[in-house]
Amino acid sequence: MLVLRRRAGEAIILGGGIEIEVMEISRTRVKLGVRAPREVSVARREVAVLAEENRKASDFMISRGQQGVGDLVRLMRNLANESSKVLPGLADM
Amino acid sequence: MPVVQVIRSTHLGDIEWGPGSELYLPVGLPGFESERRMIPVEVPAQRPLVFLQSLDVPDTCFVSLPVRTIFPEYQLQLSEDDRQNLLIDQDRELAIGADVLCLALLVPCDSTVQANLDAPIIINLHNRRCAQSVLSGKFAGYFRLADGGIWEAVC
Repeated sequence: MLVLRRRAGEAIILGGGIEIEVMEISRTRVKLGVRAPREVSVARREVAVLAEENRKASDFMISRGQQGVGDLVRLMRNLANESSKVLPGLADM
Repeated sequence: MPVVQVIRSTHLGDIEWGPGSELYLPVGLPGFESERRMIPVEVPAQRPLVFLQSLDVPDTCFVSLPVRTIFPEYQLQLSEDDRQNLLIDQDRELAIGADVLCLALLVPCDSTVQANLDAPIIINLHNRRCAQSVLSGKFAGYFRLADGGIWEAVC
């Protein structure tokens, strides 16, 4: 990984067309400004990971159509049994 | 008299809903930013599951559980951005169940399902605004449904 030291007001350039500027530095956080072409997607890493998880959840349902809910409930029911105390009701689904 | 409308869900069939049940998502969900309207649906035989059905795209439906059915000790953490999206004062203390609902989306994973408790869906019960909280640190983490119906933390 390339590591660069920058101060507030300084910037780096990626690929000639994307500029990331350090706007402000506080005790625990850094505020960054990003200038990029409109077609370049910019997201916090945790949001990008979450978007992938959400798409996976939705794709499961879409791929099974009307069976999606039933398949998921069956999957959970198969894992549950009458001794389930952590999730009341799951064994009865 | 409130107008009852019908959404033909790919997964749940026809659902009647009125304006009082609509959730507004000011920024959508990550990966689904353009879908701003949803309704929560409970099917009595499948409680405690809560389905989040898009009102704009019949194919889009998420399956969730209240976070405390997975992790009873769960404590709500909201970022400044989350509070702005939900129109909640920055210093207001919130009670799960009275002020907000916290739902964890279920994601099929291998032969089980997984829930990310660091990214719960928060519904402000006072104004029906809804957002998926995105915490940058690890607080509760991922849980996976194991044999016996027990939710186990994923290391």
